[in-house]
Amino acid sequence: MRKRRAFAALLVASGLAIAACGGGDGGGTTGEESGGKSASSDGIVDGGTLHILDVSEGATNLDPQRIYTGADLGFLGSTIQRTLTSYKYAAGVEGSELVADLATDTGTASNDAKTWEFTLRDGVTFEDGSPIECKDIRYGVSRTWASDVTGDEGPLFALSFIDAPEDYPGPFTATEEQQAGFNEAIECSEDGKTITFNLRESVGDFNFTVALLAFGPVPEDQDTGDQYTLKPVSSGPFKIESYEQGKELVMVRNENWNKDSDPIREPHLDKIVWHFGLDETVIDERMIADEGDDQAAIVYGGIQPQNLQTIFGDDKFKDRRTDGFDGFVSYTMVNMKTVNCAEIRRAIWLALDRDALRTAGGGPFTGEYAKGFINPRLGADYEEADLPEGLNEDGTPNVEAAQAEMDKAKANPDCADAYKRATETGLTRDHADSELWQKLIAIWIDSMDKIGIKIIDNPIEPSKYYATINETPGDLMSAGWAADWNNASTVIPPLFIKDGGFAYNYTWEDPEYDAFKALVDEAKVETDREKQGDMWKELNQWLVDRVWNIPGLYTKTQNIVGSRVRNAYQWYQFGWYNVGAIGLTE
Amino acid sequence: MIYFVIRRLLFAVVLLFVVSFFTYVLFTALPTNPAALTCGKNCTPEVIARNEVRLGYDQPIHVQYGRFLKGIFAGRTYGPEGASVHCPAPALGYSFEYHECVTDLITRTFPVTLSVAIGAFVLWMGIGVGLGTLAALRRGRWQDRFATTFSVVGISLPTFFFALLAILVIVIWGGLLDFPQYTGFTENPIKWFSGLLLPWATLAILSASTYVRLTRNGILEVMNEEFVRLGLAKGVKRRTLIIKYVMRAAMVPIVTIAGLDFAALLGGAVITESVFNLPGMGKLSIRAVTDSDLPVLVATTLVAAVLIVVANAVVDILYGFLDPRVREKV
Repeated sequence: MRKRRAFAALLVASGLAIAACGGGDGGGTTGEESGGKSASSDGIVDGGTLHILDVSEGATNLDPQRIYTGADLGFLGSTIQRTLTSYKYAAGVEGSELVADLATDTGTASNDAKTWEFTLRDGVTFEDGSPIECKDIRYGVSRTWASDVTGDEGPLFALSFIDAPEDYPGPFTATEEQQAGFNEAIECSEDGKTITFNLRESVGDFNFTVALLAFGPVPEDQDTGDQYTLKPVSSGPFKIESYEQGKELVMVRNENWNKDSDPIREPHLDKIVWHFGLDETVIDERMIADEGDDQAAIVYGGIQPQNLQTIFGDDKFKDRRTDGFDGFVSYTMVNMKTVNCAEIRRAIWLALDRDALRTAGGGPFTGEYAKGFINPRLGADYEEADLPEGLNEDGTPNVEAAQAEMDKAKANPDCADAYKRATETGLTRDHADSELWQKLIAIWIDSMDKIGIKIIDNPIEPSKYYATINETPGDLMSAGWAADWNNASTVIPPLFIKDGGFAYNYTWEDPEYDAFKALVDEAKVETDREKQGDMWKELNQWLVDRVWNIPGLYTKTQNIVGSRVRNAYQWYQFGWYNVGAIGLTE
Repeated sequence: MIYFVIRRLLFAVVLLFVVSFFTYVLFTALPTNPAALTCGKNCTPEVIARNEVRLGYDQPIHVQYGRFLKGIFAGRTYGPEGASVHCPAPALGYSFEYHECVTDLITRTFPVTLSVAIGAFVLWMGIGVGLGTLAALRRGRWQDRFATTFSVVGISLPTFFFALLAILVIVIWGGLLDFPQYTGFTENPIKWFSGLLLPWATLAILSASTYVRLTRNGILEVMNEEFVRLGLAKGVKRRTLIIKYVMRAAMVPIVTIAGLDFAALLGGAVITESVFNLPGMGKLSIRAVTDSDLPVLVATTLVAAVLIVVANAVVDILYGFLDPRVREKV
């Protein structure tokens, strides 16, 4: 799941800068703060207008097939866009529980989880009162293929999983034959109530996949192509009244939303106004002052680093502030073709001054040292991995232990090429170019120099970062990842399996890859969730032991809300508030 | 005079073509790839190639530019059949960032910038010329010293600093005004006025500082001209002399600069619009730069160029009115 706004690539790439900040485990953490009174429902009075303050000039996207940002998925899912399944309205891990939404239940799998069937509830409608039928969901999903309209901005799971014709170009330019082929992949019952997805492979958690808004309904006769993102048709408790980029997005209650057909959403607000293009300094000052409408305001984004001390150093903000994980794990991707020696990879981790890197990035507020690649928010799949012996918990380097690993590498004939490359040629360190990275690379060079590893700095223009490392990966690359849904099946396979989507580092060159892939394939199709969770934990440990990548930070974000805001709990699944649940006091 | 106007217009058209073409060329030289800006981790080379086709950047620069020119006169249709968007002439392009025709964006944002510019212009000319005149007429006295100090402080303060300070002191701490926001004049004139007061003041104070100096120096210079001394010697009243002759002569260079400043402001007061969150042309331009939104970038550059060219022409005509010698030369 990508981070946010128009510069998704840029943001993530620079987020990764912090990636390199980390690795390891340990101290210096700030813990989490839940928001105190503001996270509770005490004193909520139905009605009122919630204001959202944002530095961005507009929403990344409102088109369901183009949204792939945690906060946006949560915001739009809780307000205007229903899906077959969704997540429970609750704080903490409970908020990651899958529940039925448009569908009557969380789906039925058959044919070794290659076929998934969902039945639509009675009384579900769009904002104009017309019923939501199977064809609307099928049409919505089909738009994912229309890269000429959606620009491949949204999640592309549908393309990987659904058994559509190879040459299907999306609904706008498909021939009758192509469309007929697609309609066989997603079948609708005659009464329009049942939708059946026929998949290319077994997907044990496909019912989580359909919780993505890309699987949401779109009425074909109201599709305006590229401009659908300006005013999508609502199926939720709110609808868009007006939207002007650079100014504001106004949502009001959807009078055709039927509470009886929606067991999840409990809206309290009358109106939501999202104010765009505000100055970040002004936002913080307004939130600290907490006057007038700002008492009913939340912020899209976080607190400026220079204001963190003011807000977290004074108890008067304790009922308005939050400090928590955003769902991301940052890490350093290691090229397994060129650094094909576990001892060298381990030495890099041990010698890296993660403390200095994190301090340069903003200190403990930026995150906690990651203990693997699975974020603690994934609950059932998370377990702290046992880290390499000698790795300092406070993030400081252990040069002695690192040197011992280098000595082992030197003595190991299988590591000869990698050792020569690391100590003589030098390892290319790819990262998105940024001011922060100009500091971080100096720490990298200095850290590695102490164990005889040479680092070649390779800053890459941020918008080209992922395309570049995909095509010509360096030896060490910054990266970061958040799960697409509450299952490590959206973490380990994409990051480490060939064709998984984000494994740019030739993991398949490792002699143990086939064994690893077999274990992953087994975990992917496991339908016993508890058992599957244990399998992901083991695989996480497996990866840490072999240092296929170097873990960085569980990144964190800090935020503040107005004093009249309630129910502003962090919705774990999306890394932001559950805006649809927010209410205001008198 | 007619030949002069025709010559100026032809030159303006050529200039605008050159500006638009070079904006295109410069854009292609940027290291940022707009086709890779929105796909994040989906950005495989194949996805970027598909995006280049969608955005029209797969074509050679001269083809892109040719299509742009054609769109201005004939309109253009964007996107695949079945999901296409038509932008009628004059089509300045389609923004895949805003998902709107660029002409619509300009039409929507220009009134905001115009509102900002007109108010600020009236204020700064009033303050600048008024204070400058006072300083010149009271040379060496406290009024002169005040005007000079005002001018130095005003010029030294960066726009963003003054704007943020104004918000902090007047809006957040003082609670004297609501947070500035744009409301259309026809929608609610009072809100329009109150919402723009701080942006006007910010721009006016900073620009007025320059005009205080210009006016002061201009008047003092003219006051030393022989015709002024002659007028005084012949018994022309000081007030009449200053208003009718001195000011008129001193205003010539000020009108020139004011015209160009006003036109530049119409192109977008980038910092002021950004800090006060006014959805005008300035913000539109700055986002176009950061988003590598070529159609918007070219259109805003063109509009700004048109405004400068028009302002130059207007200034030339005004010159003629203020200084009969210019009329005679033309």
